[in-house]
Amino acid sequence: MEQQEHHEPLLLVENLTLKHQGAAAATTILRDVSLELRRGEILGLIGESGAGKSTLGNAVLGLLASGFSQTGGRILFEGRAINELSDKQRMELRGRRISAIFQDHTASLDPLMSVGSQIVETIKALDDAVTSRLAKSQALQLMERVGIPDPATRFGHYPHQFSGGQRQRIVIAIALAGRPDIIVADEPTSALDATVQKQILALLRNLTDETGVSLILVTHDMGVISEIADRVVVMRHGKVVEHGATSSILDTPAEAYTKDLLAAVPRLRVVPANSQITDGPRSVDPQTKVVPQATLDQNPILRVKDVTKIYAGHSFPWLRRGPQSPALRDVSIELARGSITGIVGESGSGKSTMGRIVAGLETAGRGSLDLNGRQFDISLAGKKNGLLGQVQMIFQDPAMSLNPRMSIGAALEESVWFASRETPSDRQDVGEMMDRLGLPRSLLLSYPHQLSGGQKQRVCIARALLANPSIIVADEPTSALDVSVQADIVRLLKKTVSERGVSMLFISHDLALVQDLCSEIYIFKDGVVEDAGSADFIFSKSQNPYTRRLIDARPGRFTH
Amino acid sequence: MKTDTMRTFWKRPGRSRVSLPLLILMAYVVLAVAGSLIAPQNPYDPLQIYAWESSSSPGTAGSGGYTYLLGTDGLGRDIFSTVLYGLRISLFVAFTSTALAAFIGVTAGVTAAYAGKLGDALIMRIVDLQLSLPTILVALIAIVTLGPGIDRIILALVIVQWATYARVTRGVAMSEASKSYLDAAHLLRLPARRIIFRHLLPNSIAPAITLVPIELGHAVALEATLSFLGLGVPIDKPSLGSAVANGFQYLLTGQYWISLFPGLALFGLIASINFVGEDVRRRLDPRSR
Repeated sequence: MEQQEHHEPLLLVENLTLKHQGAAAATTILRDVSLELRRGEILGLIGESGAGKSTLGNAVLGLLASGFSQTGGRILFEGRAINELSDKQRMELRGRRISAIFQDHTASLDPLMSVGSQIVETIKALDDAVTSRLAKSQALQLMERVGIPDPATRFGHYPHQFSGGQRQRIVIAIALAGRPDIIVADEPTSALDATVQKQILALLRNLTDETGVSLILVTHDMGVISEIADRVVVMRHGKVVEHGATSSILDTPAEAYTKDLLAAVPRLRVVPANSQITDGPRSVDPQTKVVPQATLDQNPILRVKDVTKIYAGHSFPWLRRGPQSPALRDVSIELARGSITGIVGESGSGKSTMGRIVAGLETAGRGSLDLNGRQFDISLAGKKNGLLGQVQMIFQDPAMSLNPRMSIGAALEESVWFASRETPSDRQDVGEMMDRLGLPRSLLLSYPHQLSGGQKQRVCIARALLANPSIIVADEPTSALDVSVQADIVRLLKKTVSERGVSMLFISHDLALVQDLCSEIYIFKDGVVEDAGSADFIFSKSQNPYTRRLIDARPGRFTH
Repeated sequence: MKTDTMRTFWKRPGRSRVSLPLLILMAYVVLAVAGSLIAPQNPYDPLQIYAWESSSSPGTAGSGGYTYLLGTDGLGRDIFSTVLYGLRISLFVAFTSTALAAFIGVTAGVTAAYAGKLGDALIMRIVDLQLSLPTILVALIAIVTLGPGIDRIILALVIVQWATYARVTRGVAMSEASKSYLDAAHLLRLPARRIIFRHLLPNSIAPAITLVPIELGHAVALEATLSFLGLGVPIDKPSLGSAVANGFQYLLTGQYWISLFPGLALFGLIASINFVGEDVRRRLDPRSR
């Protein structure tokens, strides 16, 4: 049977070439791409941004935007060429035979329609004969199938009443509504927290095994691929670099690019938690949640104690609804001089809020902050208490952290101006900093949109360093970058800290990234410090169940 | 980003940049600028007026050695010349007030977004108050309070128009202010002036720019309305609105040309500005592409 399926693939892409007609010139997005998808398998399409993987997914769905034209090759679905079908036939195919799951679960659902109605609507649209009652019972089954607890109650709820992971489950239910043969899933878990990501991937694997649907999984994350894909196609610059079974690609990659991709993924090295427990006193007492103070440095550069931050909600007290849940509750952290300390947590854990409080960008209701031996009143705005400017930040999205209307040179000169309170007469400082961060000086006259993501992030690092801060807070500085660039930036940050003696607070959702970088790690959960200690302790000795879960949630075989 | 917008504006494929309304508008501007050279008569110089030739119908030959192409009004002034001179004042008032209103409004909007809380509330409540009153009413109150004069009417038009720019700009500036490059600017303790004018303003100005051509048409119409009501430009400074008003009382006696031709000139001007404005807005607004 295996043999037979091999001869008759469900979907066959042969020498597909796609061009996009831009304002100025046509660019080739896909070049001579071939692949095949068999029934019931998960095919991973992996590549960095610009690899053409999403375009390929859309081509299979017949959803290419205007401006794209197919100049060569063909896509065969059950032996029929998709591009030769009429619009009507293609519509029939889409949804019923081939459906899709997209990254943004919020945008995929109608916020003004209950999720049940949305599933029912899809079922009815795809099957004219179905009655309303039947459609509803099918919708309930689907909700049950994708793991929504208590579907009968949840049927009438609206998307905002579900968590991100549950919303993505609903999206999956809708994708399944027409009993499709193929689902194209474009980064289905990239917007989700690690622990939730793991569950969704398990669900997708389960569904393909049980219903026989085939999945095209478009992703940039090797971890996701290794977790559930049967076979992988590695893409770069619109071409297929390598393809084969997942295990063989991961274990014995043939191409240099694949090796680079694999090497760039931060890996966790974990010693099983129960191996040795010697460092008892540093773990958190589960009853009181009291975290032992980091005792490495008697004179830390930063000491934050018992910070509590509550977002006020509506400015009129009588219009505030419900109890205010604090973003941070009695959080204390310390940062040793010249070290990198990590703050790790999932979204909503308060880790970014902590970073912004340390930088003086936000106030806190209660708590004290001691920087370089100086006490700051953090209930006041950073401008008033003098904290603002002592700390510089590197932000998550480099596209948003540079003024699009200001040249790189002008942006960096602002930093020099800040550090010296005078406009630089020559650009010596700026130029030297550019050299040190591996940026060509010619970029000084460029504008942000002319730079790559990695270059922009380097400029942001340069801007932070030129201001001569005592601490740099890096808030997910690599999350918006491609994996290969991520590794460069992490290396650069590490080098910067050791060369210039800066101290750094590194905020991340990714434990693996933090492991190599940070000496001390704080794990945040729901606004409290859940676990804390040296990197060694966290990864090998901590028995905190949440820490263990975070470590286990890292998808893929990289946890060994 | 700005350069991109401008480039697509000029290089938009498949559509000609020059349209009939644009040509008409350009003709208006040329006529207004060169008005005193083209006009056969200075209608506001009593020495050039032949009072006995008042209310001549269009095409009558005048004593000055030229034909009254569009006739004369009740005081013997050549309507064609009146229109040319009036056009100059009307366009000057409209362009100046629109430019000033845009500048003040954008600055106020960006400042509100930057200041936040109290400053924001203060500026935006003034804006709300202003936008809740009918335009003509605000303009009338302003004129009555300020008194007559070209500078006063420009001021009145600015008072009427700045609020629209402020509201539009403030919305965009608020979303820009939440981006991390603004956090970075705060972390460098840049002076408020620099944050507002170098960081916020250039990134929030686009919607206000698309508003300019539309508001320009409003300004012309509003100025004409005020002048028609006798509250606008003083009698000795002609404008299209007062030219229309001049002939209003003669309409029923059959001397239609005194009001009709200035009125038509006004109509053509506002219509061409609106067509060009709509075109510019469509080209600049990324959502409509």
